[in-house]
Amino acid sequence: MKRAKGGGDEEAPRQNGSAGRRKGEQQQSDGDDGDCDFGAADLQDEDNDPSLRREIRSKYRDLINSVQQNREDMLRPSNNKLTEVLEEANKLFKDVRQAREAALDAQLLVVATDLGKEKASQLFAEGTAFDPTAFAEHLLSFMGLNRLEDGEDEQQNGNAVDGYLPEDAWHRVARRAECCVRAAPSFHYMMGSFHAEPPPPKQKIERQRKAPSKEAKRIMPTQLKRMEGSHQEATEKEVERILGYLKSYYQDDPTSPISYYEFVIDPNSFSRTVENIFHTSFLIRDGLARMHMDNAKLPCIAPVEEGEVEAGGSFSRKQCIVSISPKMWKELIEAFDISDTMIQPSNTQNE
Amino acid sequence: MSQRKRPSNTRSSSQSKRQSGTAVAQEEDDNTTLTQPSTSQVQRGMEKLTPAQVDQKTAEVVQYFLVKDQKKIPVRRADLVKHVVKEYRTIYPEIMKRAARTFDQVFGLKMIEIDAKNHMYILINKLEPVAGPATLKSPTNPKMGLMFVILSVIFMKGGIVRENLIWSTLKKLRVDPGERHEEFGDVKKVVTDEFVRQRYLEYVRIPHTEPVEHEFRWGQRAEVEVSKTKILEFMGQLHEQDPQSWIQQYREAHSVSGSTQAGSSSQR
Repeated sequence: MKRAKGGGDEEAPRQNGSAGRRKGEQQQSDGDDGDCDFGAADLQDEDNDPSLRREIRSKYRDLINSVQQNREDMLRPSNNKLTEVLEEANKLFKDVRQAREAALDAQLLVVATDLGKEKASQLFAEGTAFDPTAFAEHLLSFMGLNRLEDGEDEQQNGNAVDGYLPEDAWHRVARRAECCVRAAPSFHYMMGSFHAEPPPPKQKIERQRKAPSKEAKRIMPTQLKRMEGSHQEATEKEVERILGYLKSYYQDDPTSPISYYEFVIDPNSFSRTVENIFHTSFLIRDGLARMHMDNAKLPCIAPVEEGEVEAGGSFSRKQCIVSISPKMWKELIEAFDISDTMIQPSNTQNE
Repeated sequence: MSQRKRPSNTRSSSQSKRQSGTAVAQEEDDNTTLTQPSTSQVQRGMEKLTPAQVDQKTAEVVQYFLVKDQKKIPVRRADLVKHVVKEYRTIYPEIMKRAARTFDQVFGLKMIEIDAKNHMYILINKLEPVAGPATLKSPTNPKMGLMFVILSVIFMKGGIVRENLIWSTLKKLRVDPGERHEEFGDVKKVVTDEFVRQRYLEYVRIPHTEPVEHEFRWGQRAEVEVSKTKILEFMGQLHEQDPQSWIQQYREAHSVSGSTQAGSSSQR
């Protein structure tokens, strides 16, 4: 049988916040002792004995605490602890003489009734009652608890003694739980998300690199200008070079006209063909070459003699647009049977 | 504002018929600045925008939801309007309708309003989880296990449980709210704060208790996400009993039939 005093071994919190104390101590640790000493009319020793009053109150508080602390234990349908508490309270009540003790008795009754109600609802439930302790036991087994083989009593303290849980214990439960929960899967980018961290280190690297390169440029400005040149100059050079080719071919045989297509087409490279057309157009624009149709109505190109060039030009200028596609280019190669390019590609590939 | 409210009230019944899927609440006592636009306002708003714009805004809403759902925190309508919808608020109902459809058809998710008063939405899976060994080797979250245990206890105990019962049960499972757990960290915070914010649990103060005590109930998210029937099956498996032996819980699990609905109050 659970005695109130025995149950109060580690009851720390009292209802009114006073420190825990045993019965029979003469010290005053709470403020409600003052009333006992006020002179009341009846001076029956027992009724006004302060130590006895304290003892009764203390017992009541112990009872209340035991009910509150061991609530789950008392709820279990397997024991009668609640009844025992009530019987103990009945005994105490016989000695109650003053309002303060009665108030504590009433408080105990409230707590016990609350518990009783819960116990009753358990009993009232049809079918098997649910015992959280048993549930916990079963769950531990489910989680893979390795119990010690000695069959040691689980009342012993310390986690390590009564078996240890594997590391994935809660993961097992979570896995089982997934089957019961319609949670939306968490959204994550498949290829990971973009982190803003890389840029700062890159900036540092760039600054370091810029410093030496600036110095390098200071040393070599003239050389660079000479070597690379601008795109304009490259084009001009090309144009001049092509003019050179044109003149040389013309001088070889001034009478026979040079077919335009044969001149510009490079059977080995479509892109060079386009470049040749581009550069040739400059010649014509600047009046250094001219195009005319021969007897077969095919375009021919010839350099303009130096004497013929007239500023302003009495001869009429006509514009035309030349377009060429790879297909056309191939057809022209076939039609004119062009085997080799007339304009050799330049050696320096500056573009 | 008040003048605009009256016409939207008269149209409210037809408007709610038009909204499919998400239960868009009525506007009578709406505290937020957004009064629900009427259907004609929505139509006019739609006329001013290109389909591409509406699609873009819908996509932004969908993405906002998906990212918010990573932490399982519900989305508040006020936040959604303020941060994403912004000037498109006149066609808000249309955007939400399209977003719900996108979730449904593209992602297999349902967008549910779990709190009709405060207008909070969550995403849940449309598909039933597959029983048996997991086909996807996705990493499991142990917190899900913890939450599941707590929900199970609450359910088996009739739906409301004093917090001490939960703490004592957890202690038996080597999870002590007073100590730092190596898997969960601050257990008390996870249970009373994180799970509550995610709406898996409700942690309500019991009045007139000294010292202050709280009780736990199922949260709104749990009501729609977690299957009570499956919990009973798990109990049966653990205790090696027929799930039907827990008569009251069995009845409770099967009273909310088939697809769980948002906001349905479970009978006590």
